[in-house]
Amino acid sequence: MGVVVQWKLLTRDLMRTTHSMDFNYQSYFFDLQWEGTARASMAAGVLTKGLCGLCQPRIVAAGYSCSGPLYATATAVKTLPLQTDSTAVTDKIQNLPLETSDFFRLSELFSLKDLFDARVHLGHKKGCRHRLMEPYLFGNRLDQDIIDLDQTMEHLQSALNFTAHIAYRGGVILFVSRRRQFGHLVESTAGDCGEYAHTRYWQGGLLTNAPIQYGPGVRLPDLIVFLSTLNNVFQQHVGVRDAAKMNIPTVGVVDSNCNPSLVTYPVPGNDDTPAAMELYCRLFKMTINRAKDKRRQMELLQGLSPAGLTPGSS
Amino acid sequence: MAGSRLEKFGTVFTRVRDLMRSGVVKQSDKPIWYDVYKAFPPKKDPLYVRPVAKIYGKKEEAVPDIFYREDEIRAKFYEVYGTGPRAFDLSKSNFVSTCQRFVEKYMELESWGELEKQSLFEETGKALLAEGLVLRRRSGPVVASETRDPVLGMKLTDMLAELQTDAPGETPTPGEETPTQAPVTPQ
Repeated sequence: MGVVVQWKLLTRDLMRTTHSMDFNYQSYFFDLQWEGTARASMAAGVLTKGLCGLCQPRIVAAGYSCSGPLYATATAVKTLPLQTDSTAVTDKIQNLPLETSDFFRLSELFSLKDLFDARVHLGHKKGCRHRLMEPYLFGNRLDQDIIDLDQTMEHLQSALNFTAHIAYRGGVILFVSRRRQFGHLVESTAGDCGEYAHTRYWQGGLLTNAPIQYGPGVRLPDLIVFLSTLNNVFQQHVGVRDAAKMNIPTVGVVDSNCNPSLVTYPVPGNDDTPAAMELYCRLFKMTINRAKDKRRQMELLQGLSPAGLTPGSS
Repeated sequence: MAGSRLEKFGTVFTRVRDLMRSGVVKQSDKPIWYDVYKAFPPKKDPLYVRPVAKIYGKKEEAVPDIFYREDEIRAKFYEVYGTGPRAFDLSKSNFVSTCQRFVEKYMELESWGELEKQSLFEETGKALLAEGLVLRRRSGPVVASETRDPVLGMKLTDMLAELQTDAPGETPTPGEETPTQAPVTPQ
């Protein structure tokens, strides 16, 4: 029987280590009816129990550990019978959004003026500039780099679109940011949209050594969103390279001192101003919620009328 | 599941595509994002770019400087008047600073075309004074020149020369006395 355990975890204060064994994680199951394929039959793994950042491999016991007061909400138990005709319908649900260029109408979520007011166009000084960011810069005003917002609009649209499709298909999205100033913001954003966040120290083998650190059969994220691709010493975050290694696509906000080469969907923009970060978090949250709501709607329609599936259903 | 950890060769998509083509990864194990990437690829392939060794010497500027025609007026304004009487309030997006008002007035007067370039600056100041905006000229240069301690300017050779000129007659007298002081030895 195939099970994938899904948690909604948040990383919390590292100092308060309470081993809260209130949750009997084995009692929460989520049968993925649309993934009634061999993929779902892979062994279950609690993914984000390890994403609290402080998880020492020693503490891992019985496949579950927490180094902080993590709170989890279980997803509903759904046991839908596998039917051959329903797989065709679910395939249709899966592939329908790919036909339209902006199926989730994400272009109405932001405008160029919003980006400008949130100071997304402000880059760092000329000396901090990364060679590979030069194509994305509009110019240099009195030694400060100005990011080209026309390009940012296109990149942001494509990044949000990708995120929405991944969320629509039930993918696991991980928000990463090592900026301490916005750690809480990123974590609460992830919690609000039902996804995951990692804003603490990134252990070396988090992605590359996951089966050993967190138990066999861990499900890795399907998309990693970097709200800042740098770590605290102004080097590229290890997660960017690790995600490329593990064939996980990445969406990342790249400032003028970042390296955009390994990020799958880079979004050139400011990652230092609170206004800009709040804008990004709000946009990602709205995108993911929209995509998930759309999915639920499509499935409800499928439940009511298997034959009638209109693309314009809203 | 099999994977390819070579992040420096090809993109995420090309590696997975080739793994599937070769049969290492089954169609049923296709990642969620594969179809989405295929339908909506990024503008630029996320290929790894090797760091290039630093090029010394002159290299052309890839990112142009942003300058406006009004910058000349602004530069002159700041040089003459320093920062304006009113501080900048950046919380408002439609804030008009003193310098910006000056620039707008200048452009207005220039568009009328009556005055010459030299007097335009003065006329703008007068026009703003008439509107009620008082501009005070900056008294001295921005960085005041430090006065050097006069003691540091004294030179030893000059001091000795002064002594020579002040008392020309007195200095040889100690020398005269010594030869005359011949010791008289009683015989």
